[in-house]
Amino acid sequence: MSRAVPAALVLAILALLVLGPMLALFHLGDIPGYAASDLRFWENAYLRRVLFFSLWQASLSTLLAVVPAILVARAFAMQGQLPLRNLLLRLFALPLVVPAVVAVMSIVSVYGSSGWLPLGRSLYGINGILIAHVFFNLPLAVRLLLPQWQAIPQHHWQLSEQLGMNAWQRWRFIEWPMLREALPGVLLLVFMLCLTSFAVVLTLGGGPRSTTLEVAIYQSLRFDFDPARAALLALLQLGLCMLVALLTLKMQRLPEVEITLSTPARPSTSLHKWVDIGLIVAATLFVGMPLLSMLIDALGGPVVRVISDANLWRALASTLLIGLTAALLSVCAGWWLLRYSASLAYAGRRARARLIDLAGSIVYVVPPLVIGTGMFVLLSPRVDVFDWVYPIVIAINALMGLPFVIRCLGPAMRQNHARYHRLCLTLGLTGWNRFRFVEWPLLRRPLGLAIGLVAVLAMGDLGVIALFGSTQTSTLALMIYQQLGAYLVPQATVTALLLLLLCLGVFALLERLIGGKTVVAG
Amino acid sequence: MLRVEALEFAYTDAAEQRMCFDLTVSAGEVLSLIGPSGSGKSTLLNLIAGFLPASRGRILLDQHPIQDLAVAQRPVSIVFQQHNLFPHLDLYTNVALGVNPSLRLLPAQVEAVREALARLGLTELQRRKPGELSGGQRQRVALARALVRRRKILLLDEAFAALGPAMRSELIELVKVLVREQDMAALLVSHQPNDALIASARTAFICAGRVAALAPTAQLLHQQEPPELREYLGSQ
Repeated sequence: MSRAVPAALVLAILALLVLGPMLALFHLGDIPGYAASDLRFWENAYLRRVLFFSLWQASLSTLLAVVPAILVARAFAMQGQLPLRNLLLRLFALPLVVPAVVAVMSIVSVYGSSGWLPLGRSLYGINGILIAHVFFNLPLAVRLLLPQWQAIPQHHWQLSEQLGMNAWQRWRFIEWPMLREALPGVLLLVFMLCLTSFAVVLTLGGGPRSTTLEVAIYQSLRFDFDPARAALLALLQLGLCMLVALLTLKMQRLPEVEITLSTPARPSTSLHKWVDIGLIVAATLFVGMPLLSMLIDALGGPVVRVISDANLWRALASTLLIGLTAALLSVCAGWWLLRYSASLAYAGRRARARLIDLAGSIVYVVPPLVIGTGMFVLLSPRVDVFDWVYPIVIAINALMGLPFVIRCLGPAMRQNHARYHRLCLTLGLTGWNRFRFVEWPLLRRPLGLAIGLVAVLAMGDLGVIALFGSTQTSTLALMIYQQLGAYLVPQATVTALLLLLLCLGVFALLERLIGGKTVVAG
Repeated sequence: MLRVEALEFAYTDAAEQRMCFDLTVSAGEVLSLIGPSGSGKSTLLNLIAGFLPASRGRILLDQHPIQDLAVAQRPVSIVFQQHNLFPHLDLYTNVALGVNPSLRLLPAQVEAVREALARLGLTELQRRKPGELSGGQRQRVALARALVRRRKILLLDEAFAALGPAMRSELIELVKVLVREQDMAALLVSHQPNDALIASARTAFICAGRVAALAPTAQLLHQQEPPELREYLGSQ
């Protein structure tokens, strides 16, 4: 009972935050400027183009990220004894915490007109979007796919050697069957991330020809002042996301991000070894070069001018306020939901426990920008939404972080409950004592990771703040976008470096302060 | 004396097996429970400990009913097969939690913890974490905690199943001594008939959610009836 009440409260708030805006969107007829003909979006050339481009860029990005990721993950798996392997894999975790707008600045730094590999104007449009999406998702896919190879029993490799299998036969009979299980889940996840990508398309998209649904929603609200069209676009985006989420649920199997980084060496010839090393080096350069280039550009940029600007410090304070508050709210909500779902799972009510976890992951289905649009439509006739920027941005970012909290903390919490619940009951360990002696020491590590991840995500978010923010209520991410819009690229690069350092610093600090030292596993 | 009277329980899964137990354990006695997997041995222990709610029946300790008490209030100590200890706490703290979950111990209680650790030969190891101990040592710590709790009922749910034969025998002998010293009523669930021979003067055979036979251990292990008992022992 004591676990059910806080969980019910969290679920009620979630419902209010998600269903309220969604209901507002579904009442299209009440929105000023609505015309019934708008609903026939397939007759509208603009909407058709936006829809096609959204799907096209997401499909192409997914292919370009996942196909090379298979080769790179395989190379990492085969070269278990490669020097610096663990360090390189850690580098591959970096794009997970780098804000999208910082990644964009890094890519501009390499491929922009004055970069190391200049693409000129052609960077802006589909090329830039694809490069940025591959930058983010190739490392993610590598880390998701690598455990599949590591799960292959050593005996299978030994057997393949004994049977005299060549590389193709090993791939066909050993590697592909295990890869096939995880691949649909990884493809759909990457597709969904690219479909809902906002900051990348906003900053690198080249006008109406390279606009996705998310960016079109933003443009409708902020430039065209057309809430009815924004609502219609949001409904389209919602429908697409629900379709992908349904497919993902059907595929189910999404591997855990790699935890153990060691792996025994696999049989490979000298040629294969050099091909593998070549692939790893190429992928490392692709991921590392933009960040390095941005670092060099920023250090040679107008650092003093940027940091002496009072607006920067205001934006920095807003960034910290949004990041830390959203992380705190998200972790509290996740903690209460997971405590209840763990006790349900322990009592054998697995379906209900899974339902609660899914409810916490609602933003997988309803993208934050759709919720933001709904809130805009719902609140704008009643209040000045720009006066409510912080509560709205914090609430939506906390919601965005909830799936990460559930993914980081859920498995540990369920395991902890299954192992020690009965013991705690017999010893009378309840409430504060249970938290102090059992839950905190055993869960602080995933808790630290969760709170760090959510804080960084919220600090780097450009989606919701772009919808509601202004020059007075700016964050560092929004400031970078504004500087880019004013063609102040050197200033934007310095601000991007500051945001990156702030994110890494806050992540490391939270993970260390809350996560503490490694706890002995049960 | 522990007395279980017509204690009923039904799982609400597809099988809906109804269980009903009757048995008595004297103070200072270790009663062994043997039987096939899923027969209800651990369910009986969970009912006595309060992890599962009985739908009917009584559990009496020295004539006092305890079935309505909350888990922590029951006069029960339990030792599981694994996860008896918190891996991040040292042995001393793991044992001390048995005395007071807030760890605010009176000097006499601190002394009791030290004595229990000494009694189980763990004094030298008291600052170590469970991960640094062998399986047998970990179960000794769980027994030390049961000792300081001074509860009248001791439940051992396949507590020594993961240990080798020599270590199992040693710990069972230790349990017998502790149970006698503290006048506890102990129930030992085991899959090894040999454990029952070492541990108990009497053994109960649990089958299909009831006590199908209860007799002196040596006699029970050679009994022909019920047929399920022969089948079970034949499969061992």
